[in-house]
Amino acid sequence: MTTFLIRRLFQMLIVILLAAIASYALLYLAPGGPLVALQQRQRGGAQGVTEEDIARIRARFELDLHPAVRFTRWFVGLPRGPINLGGQALLAEMHVGCTQTGQVQLTYPDGRTDIVEECIDPLTLAELEGRRVSRGVLFGDFGLSQVILRDRPISALIWSRLPYTLALMGVSTLLAILFGVIIGVYSAVRQYSRFDYFMTTLAFIGASLPTFFFGIMLILVLAVWAKDAGLPYLPSGNATANRDYVVPLLGTVDAGSPLDFLLHFIMPCAVLTFVSIAQWSRFVRASMLEVLRQDYVRTARAKGVRERLVIAKHALRNALIPFITLLAGVLPTLFAGAAVTEAVFNWPGLGQLLLDALERFDYMVAMALLYITIVLQLVGYLISDILYTVVDPRIRLT
Amino acid sequence: MATTSPVAGVDELRDTRSEGQWSIVLRRFRRHHLAMISLVVLLLILLAAFFAPYLTPFSPRENDITKRFLTPLTADPDTGQLHIFGTDNLGRDYFTRVLYAGRVSLTVALTTSTIAVLIGIFLGLLAGYFGGWIDIAITRTLEFISTFPLFIVLLILSSILLQNESLIPIPDFAVSITAALTAVPDTEARKVTLLVLALALLNWTPTARLMRGMVLSVREQVYIESSRALGASNPRIIWRHVFPNAYPPIIVDFTLLINTILVLESSLSFLGFGVQDPTPTWGNMLAFAQSNMFNEPWLPLVPGLPLLLCALAINFIGDGMRDALDPRLKL
Repeated sequence: MTTFLIRRLFQMLIVILLAAIASYALLYLAPGGPLVALQQRQRGGAQGVTEEDIARIRARFELDLHPAVRFTRWFVGLPRGPINLGGQALLAEMHVGCTQTGQVQLTYPDGRTDIVEECIDPLTLAELEGRRVSRGVLFGDFGLSQVILRDRPISALIWSRLPYTLALMGVSTLLAILFGVIIGVYSAVRQYSRFDYFMTTLAFIGASLPTFFFGIMLILVLAVWAKDAGLPYLPSGNATANRDYVVPLLGTVDAGSPLDFLLHFIMPCAVLTFVSIAQWSRFVRASMLEVLRQDYVRTARAKGVRERLVIAKHALRNALIPFITLLAGVLPTLFAGAAVTEAVFNWPGLGQLLLDALERFDYMVAMALLYITIVLQLVGYLISDILYTVVDPRIRLT
Repeated sequence: MATTSPVAGVDELRDTRSEGQWSIVLRRFRRHHLAMISLVVLLLILLAAFFAPYLTPFSPRENDITKRFLTPLTADPDTGQLHIFGTDNLGRDYFTRVLYAGRVSLTVALTTSTIAVLIGIFLGLLAGYFGGWIDIAITRTLEFISTFPLFIVLLILSSILLQNESLIPIPDFAVSITAALTAVPDTEARKVTLLVLALALLNWTPTARLMRGMVLSVREQVYIESSRALGASNPRIIWRHVFPNAYPPIIVDFTLLINTILVLESSLSFLGFGVQDPTPTWGNMLAFAQSNMFNEPWLPLVPGLPLLLCALAINFIGDGMRDALDPRLKL
């Protein structure tokens, strides 16, 4: 077990490194980058962006550094400057980037001339000293937000949104598992009954529907039509209201009160629950059907154990073993798995943060969210492997 | 009952053998009523989308601010032609836009899944048939790609691609094919093509995995060995023997992938990171509809219902295909 853990952790570290490189490359090797929009504006002459502005922005986004150096500074927060060894600054003159590129005229010995694009003002390691740098993504410091909350740490931004997403995803996942298990077990015990047909069809529809369509329909019925008809209605977006409002039967709802939050919470939670009940119930049904055919279930029945007990104890327990692989997939979705639903209901969670970041080109925030999700996913796999041995003693990890 | 054959059931056997493999599949598929109904519905929507220019007199992109938010079934103030579903915030005929949107959405779904499945089949065949380092390289890539959260990567990728759309080289023929299929100008077709490529690049992995698994089992069959003994080359064995015996599950996979892409594309467009506004798709029409639904509650239903119908129909067809192709149900 220990060797297994050590090996897996080591593998995980390598995958995290590769994933970090790949996602960083995705952002910066794409043609353009953050400067394109500015340069286009400059060409239009609307705002008059000067060369100095460009240089300042390049320094701010560290675009004047070589990609590899930029990556290590983002990932582990190094290099910060020259290495100090016994009062001596080593490698101070090493070039790590270029503050200005320009055209250089080369004259060859035979008199030919050639104009090449080259760095005319290289950036040395010594000049990096004193520049702002994060402690590195690997150690949980995601740097500063550039647009959404300018110069505030990204981690603060994430912490402020996390409770909303956790509440939404946590409650809806628990509800979905609860309903999913009940429906799945019942469908399996009464296979091909009317209930089974109804539920499998419903699960099928739930799995093939785009989430946002279901969300919009819910808003249409519970918010728009219900309000028009004078029935009790639910607020259509946000987590809390800005001012008090009156709901028929419930009376006045104070803005920011727990009831206000609850009313806002119901619809997004219902959407997420409905969509994932389908997945859970299908899975439990298939797994239960498998187990119910086993000999030990027949033995239990033959012994005269009550049917209820057979299903709850002999069958369900064993049917839930493969369930654990699905739980591993839940961990990353708890984090930013509900971008679409959050967008439909304007729920101020992490999914919405991701969309905001992309819309306003605050790519560092998007990168942080992507990176955390990947790490959570890998941790989820590891946990599910370990849980397997706990639940099923027949499995040993070596 | 008089039998011409001494062994019972041989006649039936002979009957099925004279019937080709595909007609058996077709017969079984036809028995699946829901799948047949779905096929009809899907064909109707496809026809409506591709014959849009003949079904409506309006253009999907001509705006006229004086005709904003006309109510359904009003006649056009200038020409007297009927706006069946009224007009949107820029005075464009809503019915026309839904038809053309279907054309874009379905084209994206169909072309993307075709490309993704082709990539998947190719790499799956390579990995499964040759094994060794090719297999290791391909399966490791597969595993690596699946550690990325698909939707988040897709959001980031398309936001970057759309921002720098003009800098990315795309072959002209690809753009003109998209333009012809979706009936949009070339500049918009470029963006759609980019989205198709991004979606295809991230969605080939399940097909490759499935194909590899199928090839691994087919590869060990005796007929492959005898074919090799007869001196057949690798490409010939793959094309004539491995592929024909390994692809049936891919058809089901392909059908379900079309739905996955349809939903992905509409979600992306809904969030503003997919197909962008002058080009209509059901996704971005729904985004517009949501922001105006408090005044016009019926707006989301118009692009929403065809999207819903297509998603359901494709899934039911996939279900029917699975039943029709499942070898366990034979005889």
